[in-house]
Amino acid sequence: MDYLSADKILIVDLAASETTEDELDEDLVSEKIGGAGMTKHLYEQHEDEDPIVIGTGLLTGTLYPATAAGVITAKSPVSGTLCHCPITLKLGVEIKYSGFDYIVLKGVSDKPIYLWVHDGVADIQDAADVWGKDVWETTDAWRKIVGDDLLQTLVIGKSGESGSDYAQVCFNHWSSGDRWGFGKAFGGKNIKGAAFRGMGLLEAAKPEEFVERSLEILKAIKPNDFMGKRGVGDICAALGHEDVTDWLAPIVHRHSACYNTPYPTNTFAYLDDDPKLVTETKVKEPGILITDIFGLIGFKNLGLSAADSCRALKACAKYGIDPTAVAELSPGKSLEDVENAFARLSGSPPIAGKGVFSPWCPTKPLFGDFGLSGGDETANWWERHQALASIFGIHPIFAVMCPQLTEENMLELANIGTDLELDKDTLDEVIDGLCG
Amino acid sequence: MGIRIDALKCTACMACEMACGYHRDDGFAFLSSCIVPYRAKEKTDYFGVLLKEEETLVVARPEGLEINKIGEEQDPEKEADASAKPMLLREACDLCEDVEDHGPLCIQFCPVEAITLEEE
Repeated sequence: MDYLSADKILIVDLAASETTEDELDEDLVSEKIGGAGMTKHLYEQHEDEDPIVIGTGLLTGTLYPATAAGVITAKSPVSGTLCHCPITLKLGVEIKYSGFDYIVLKGVSDKPIYLWVHDGVADIQDAADVWGKDVWETTDAWRKIVGDDLLQTLVIGKSGESGSDYAQVCFNHWSSGDRWGFGKAFGGKNIKGAAFRGMGLLEAAKPEEFVERSLEILKAIKPNDFMGKRGVGDICAALGHEDVTDWLAPIVHRHSACYNTPYPTNTFAYLDDDPKLVTETKVKEPGILITDIFGLIGFKNLGLSAADSCRALKACAKYGIDPTAVAELSPGKSLEDVENAFARLSGSPPIAGKGVFSPWCPTKPLFGDFGLSGGDETANWWERHQALASIFGIHPIFAVMCPQLTEENMLELANIGTDLELDKDTLDEVIDGLCG
Repeated sequence: MGIRIDALKCTACMACEMACGYHRDDGFAFLSSCIVPYRAKEKTDYFGVLLKEEETLVVARPEGLEINKIGEEQDPEKEADASAKPMLLREACDLCEDVEDHGPLCIQFCPVEAITLEEE
C-alpha cells in the first residue's frame, strides 16, 4: 500500500518473543478500508491466539480534520465480545508515524514485557523494572530511558496487572475510552504496554487535491457555533449537565486538542497550583488532564467537589482503572472511599450502545441534533458514526458534533489520498461487519 | 509580513506543524516543519509554539513572545527548551511563498486562529 500508509503490519508472537512483519496489501485495503475494519479482520485471522490488535484509520495523521484516532480491537475479558476502543490525544498519530499501520499482539508472554516501536522498528523489551509501577511512573520511566518526552504510550497500571475487570489501557498519563477491561487483557498477556515514536512520511496519491479539499472542509467547519466553545465543561453542558462548566471553572487551567481536531475535547485542571498561572509551574504534577466526560460527571454525581472529582480522576489514571466504572460502583461517596474502592469494586456498570464501540464518546449528537428524532434513529446514527470514525481515524467525539465530516467526504478524501476506488457499498459492508 | 502566534489561543493540535510539514515534503510528515507546538511538558500543561524564522527562533510562550537571535548566546540562567535544538537545523519559514492563493498554510489550517499574518 503506497499511500496514506506505513505499509507494514507488525505481528508480535508473545509466547515466542518474536516479531514478524507483513506488507499491507492494497487489495485488503480495498476490501476492509482501514482502522477497525482492518483490526477486526486481523483479529479474526489470529483469533486462536486471543489477539489484541492496535491500528490506525486510513486518514489518521493527515490534514483532513480530526484525524487523530487509532483503535484497539480485542475480545473484552469482561463481556467476552469483540470491542473497539478509540485511541486519541497524539497517540494514534504517533503509532502511524512510528512505522506500522497495524500491530497484532498474540499469545501470552512468559514474563512482563513492553513493546518499543520507533521509526519502523519494533523491539520486545523487558518490563520487570516497571511491573508494579503505576501508569504515570511507567510513562515517565520509558520517556527517561529513551530521553524523549514526546514518546507516546499505551500503558496499564496496577489495576491491569492484578486482573481487575475495570482495568484500563491508559494513554501517556491519562484515562482513555477503554470501557472494555482491555487493561486486564494486556495484564493477562504480561504486556505492560507499548511506547511509540516516529518520524515517518505518509505520501498521498494526489497531495495538492487532498490538502485543498481538507482546507475547504475545515473552512466549512469554522462557522459552527461549537467552534466558540472549549473543553469538557461545554461538552457536559451540551449533554444537559449545564452546571458543570461553572462548577469546574475555578480549577480549569487550559483546554487542549487531540491531533488536528478543531474542538479541544480535553481540559487540564490544576489542583496544586494556581489555575490562572500562565508561566510554567514549579509543581511537578499540579493536576490532571480530564479526558473522560462521564467519569467527571460520575464523581460530581457522588457529591464530590470539582477538585476532589479531579483528584479521583487523577488517582484512577495512575492506577489504570476506568473512572466511569469507579464512580458508578464506588460503595462510598467521599474521595477517600473512592480511592479505597479500586481493588474492591464489584458489579457491572451500565454500558450504553450495543457494546461494540465505547460509550466514552457521548451517545447522541453534541451542539446540534443532526436532524435526528431520537430513540433508535439516534442510536443507529451513533453506532454508524463511531464505525466511520474508527475506520477512517476520526476523533469519535468530534464525529458526533461536526456535520461537515460526512461519510461522503471521508470516502472522497480516502480515494484522493490512495488512488483506490472505495465506494459506499464497500463502506456499508465494512460498517455492517463491525456493527452486526 | 510575518507570522504572529497567540500561544494562549493555541490548543496544541499540531495542525500547523503538519501543514508546514506538507509544504516542505509534499507529503504528511513532521520532520521538516518550521512551526512546532512544544508539548513536552505534558504533566504541567505548559505548551506554546516554536517558529524558526530566517534570523530568529520565536518561542511563543503562554506568558508572551520570546524572540531569540539565532547564533547569539542565550541566557545561561534560562532553561533551554528541548524542542529548540532540532528546530535550528530546519529551514526557516518562507511564508509558503510558493503556495498560490492561500498564503501560509499554518494560518489556514489553525482551527482556532492562534496564528495570524501581520505587517512587521
